[in-house]
Amino acid sequence: MSTATTTVPAHWPRWQRLRRLSPTQRCAAAALVLLGLFAVAGAWVWPDPAAQDLSRFLEPPSLAEPLGRDHLGRSVAGRLASATRLSLATAVACVATAVVAGALAGVLAAWRGGIVDTVLHGLSEAFVALPALLVVLLVSAMSGGGLWTLYAGLALAQWVEYFRVVRARSALVLSGPAVEAAGLLQLGPLHVLRRHLWPDLRPLLTTMATFGVGTSVLALSTLGFVGVGIAPPTPELGLMITEAFPYYDEAPWMSLAPALVLATVLVGLLGLRGKESVS
Amino acid sequence: MTTVPPTLAADEVEPAVRGPAPARRGTLPPVARVLARRALQAVSVTLLVSTACFVIVQNLPGDMAYRIAAGRYGYDRVTTASADAVRADLGLDAPAWQQLARWWADLAQFDLGTSLVTGGSVVHELRLPVTSSLQLAATALALAVAVGAPVGMAAAWRPGGLLDRLTTVWVAGTRALPPFLLGLLLIMLFSVHLGWLPAVGHGSASNVVLPAVTLAVGLSGLFARVTRDTVAQLRGSGFVTFAETKGLRGRAVLARHVLRNAGVTLVAYVGAQALILIEGVVVVESLFAWPGLGRTLVHAIFWRDVPVIQAAAVALALLVVLINTVVDVAGLALDPRPRWRQVVP
Amino acid sequence: MNMHVQGLVVTHTGRTLLDVDDLRLERGRAVTIVGESGSGKSLLAHAVMGTLGAGLEAQGRVVIEGTSYDVAERRARRRLWGRVMALLPQEPVLALDPTMRVRGQVAEGAASFWSDRRSGYRAAEEVLGTLGVAGAARRYPHTLSGGMAQRVAFAAATIGGARVLIADEPSKGLDDHARNDLTVLLHRHVTAGGILLTITHDLDLGRDLGGDVLVMRDAGIVERGPAHQVLITPSHPYTRRLLAAEPGRWRHLWVRDRTSGATERTADPGGPTLVQTDRVAKGFAGRTLFSDVSLTIRPGDRLALAGPSGSGKTTLGNVLLRLLQPDAGSVRHTQELAGGRLQKLYQDPAVAFPSRVPIGAALADVVRRHRPAPGRLTSLLAAMRLDESLLQRTPGQVSGGELQRLSIIRAILVDPLLIFADEPTSRLDLVTQEETMCCLMEQVERSGCALVLVTHNQALAHTVADRVLAVAG
Repeated sequence: MSTATTTVPAHWPRWQRLRRLSPTQRCAAAALVLLGLFAVAGAWVWPDPAAQDLSRFLEPPSLAEPLGRDHLGRSVAGRLASATRLSLATAVACVATAVVAGALAGVLAAWRGGIVDTVLHGLSEAFVALPALLVVLLVSAMSGGGLWTLYAGLALAQWVEYFRVVRARSALVLSGPAVEAAGLLQLGPLHVLRRHLWPDLRPLLTTMATFGVGTSVLALSTLGFVGVGIAPPTPELGLMITEAFPYYDEAPWMSLAPALVLATVLVGLLGLRGKESVS
Repeated sequence: MTTVPPTLAADEVEPAVRGPAPARRGTLPPVARVLARRALQAVSVTLLVSTACFVIVQNLPGDMAYRIAAGRYGYDRVTTASADAVRADLGLDAPAWQQLARWWADLAQFDLGTSLVTGGSVVHELRLPVTSSLQLAATALALAVAVGAPVGMAAAWRPGGLLDRLTTVWVAGTRALPPFLLGLLLIMLFSVHLGWLPAVGHGSASNVVLPAVTLAVGLSGLFARVTRDTVAQLRGSGFVTFAETKGLRGRAVLARHVLRNAGVTLVAYVGAQALILIEGVVVVESLFAWPGLGRTLVHAIFWRDVPVIQAAAVALALLVVLINTVVDVAGLALDPRPRWRQVVP
Repeated sequence: MNMHVQGLVVTHTGRTLLDVDDLRLERGRAVTIVGESGSGKSLLAHAVMGTLGAGLEAQGRVVIEGTSYDVAERRARRRLWGRVMALLPQEPVLALDPTMRVRGQVAEGAASFWSDRRSGYRAAEEVLGTLGVAGAARRYPHTLSGGMAQRVAFAAATIGGARVLIADEPSKGLDDHARNDLTVLLHRHVTAGGILLTITHDLDLGRDLGGDVLVMRDAGIVERGPAHQVLITPSHPYTRRLLAAEPGRWRHLWVRDRTSGATERTADPGGPTLVQTDRVAKGFAGRTLFSDVSLTIRPGDRLALAGPSGSGKTTLGNVLLRLLQPDAGSVRHTQELAGGRLQKLYQDPAVAFPSRVPIGAALADVVRRHRPAPGRLTSLLAAMRLDESLLQRTPGQVSGGELQRLSIIRAILVDPLLIFADEPTSRLDLVTQEETMCCLMEQVERSGCALVLVTHNQALAHTVADRVLAVAG
């Protein structure tokens, strides 16, 4: 997997490598940072996104309310900031959980082999035939909805991807000559983890995790859109689009704004990866 | 001179390296091995879904027996007596693991139960959703390959050319536009504004167009991308160069060497995209009110209709397994080399 | 008919990679270009053929059958391919389509194939038959041995009747037996009145082909003349240096007497045993690689395991090291080998180091674990003529020869009793090979450790080892 920064010597400090980001990657990073700032700052500017004021039904955008008010007179910008915060935080938490669980299980399976590998691999074979959406739907049916359910479902749906890649890659690294040499030199498992596995897996996991955050944000909004995600009073991107859609002719900004946020997250994460690579 | 006897022992030193044991290769022919592996996968995923559904049942609010009695006899005729009868009949007093075993045994006999909502047989109720989903998935996949593969091929002919760059934009664009938004956009454009195509419904041929296109737009971009990369890589490969220096013309090289080898990669990629396709089917069906498995599942989850949840979820998972089985067998037919590493997933 | 190359220059971003003023090839006389990697010899083949990479600028002319072609105009020669000129690819296994049976791949080179498939297939079977690989016709490339693939590639390249044959490193990856077959095929092409241009780093192939030899270095030709003269009594200093680097001609203190190969010298036969094998056997996928091998390795021993590729010599070495379990028999190691005093050198040193970590960091872990005398690493680097700045690079940023010397340092740091060297120089040029073996053998001499060398090169085996075990396969 090659990135745009392959020409930078390995011993360069990290900040210098950052400077070698391509213009696309810089734009993407800037867009994501701005979006993050909007999400965080929104909590101070609009402290209560659920506050209704029916007299301000579908109020058009103004300086104080850059995105106007919705059909219940709630601040659209406030709700959008809150929804963005929720989406990003949940997605990052899901991916972090899935990466840690999947990678640990993958390394364990590749290293130990035998029964551990057989059991974990068998489990992954079952999970890999289940679309992520299906897992989330099943989990939410199991425990009755709510944010925790969505988090658990998404993490459960995604661990298998990391597990399979890490297991395959680790098995390759562990059976390779470099680790054989390390064994002959008796450098111990810590050396293998630190010098062989981690440097090899890190770029892979970073790429996959970037992609995974996008998938999670998308899955959350899709579930909200379909009506089986987060319950209505809580602002959520997909839900906001569904709610705003009937008023598209009077207040198009209400549906466009959450769609734009969604697109920014997805394109931003895509741009961050640099050259589009097919996994 | 005194010689010290050499100190020897057979196993003082542990083997320096331990990795996963290499998979033992049986004498089964490759096709049988693929089928066996996929059959095992089908069984394990069914068990997983079934167990999850069992947990759902256990966690349902209210008394299970009352719910089932209501399902059997209608809500207005539920009495304590009928609930007790159900309890005794289904062994709901038994420990959970015994109930789970019963649950699995029913499944093993293809007894999928009756819908808690309509009271009809689940097998019967799922007939239409299965065929509709298959119809939608097949149309979308055919459309995606029919558009993506030729475009990718053409893009590879001039890397960095106009078509190549358009493909890149297309892929990035479809990534930014999730299927449900794309679906909305298409509905607004073709149904609401232009009035060319029906937005929802099922029955006539024109109904399938919008949902299938929604699914195919994203997939075809990915297929175009993979085809382009594969063909570009093949054109630089040793055997294509050799075919050219043997005196073959460009079209002959394409037909005899590039297409089949590109097919190997593309077919494997279809397998890798099966999950995305099925996931898209679930979303698009809900959006377009397409009476398929996805919509059935979402409805069933809304009503906590567990037998239908189980059947629909298993059917969707088996669809993924089925696609991958076809892909594996096609791969074996196209590529005679032994498969040292299985194609994902 | 003859072929004439005039004023050929290939450049890349202003740097000259190839500059050959005048080269004539005649029917019935082989021309061989020898040189080390990076000398530009492969570019010559591709410039003449018209298959240069897109990033390279070329100028000059090639005259074929009286027609003059501009080297920069690559497409014009395309209609000559297969009928007038053909390229015998390096690594034939990669040049054959993995998804198509051999017969079709040979037949499509015949002109008749495109009007009548059957006659094309017949022609292909005929050619394969005369090359002694009739049985390969219905097989897929991955089931062929290296020698068979070479003959199939030869059949596919020549079935179109091209008089001009350009062979680019044709002996790469072939064992001695397959190499001899190849020489016969190339000879046959020349004696049938063909023009042959062979590009190789294999001096023996140049001698065997006869005809004229050109020696290339740094983009230019340094010496040319009849093969028996240039490759036996060269006049240019570089050619002399090249010839002296052939293992059979090495002059070093540690070189074994090659003439008395029969007299086995075993250092101190009474010394303790390091490794003892008792009737070990190993096979893969139903094929026995070796059986009943009983060996004893003592300190200071030098044992070579020599044999053609695929014969199982590396497997035997790994069994000796107990990296692999034998199918039968036992391998016993002395207690003293525990604790990392048994080391291995790899054919490709780039994969023997952690690939994404600076080499210095990997070596630091070795130093931390084994605590050699302070300054040992620095003195070893100096002894191997390696710059300390190399330690800051990752394995991919260091040349193969330097990296192999770094891996020798890594092995020597732990003060080993036995070093197992698995084809340590087979990917290196002649001069680099000599340099690397020198570094290794000086350390082996100094420390008195035992050496097991795996090689396909008989001359190297007899030059370095006291005992040579032929692994037949």
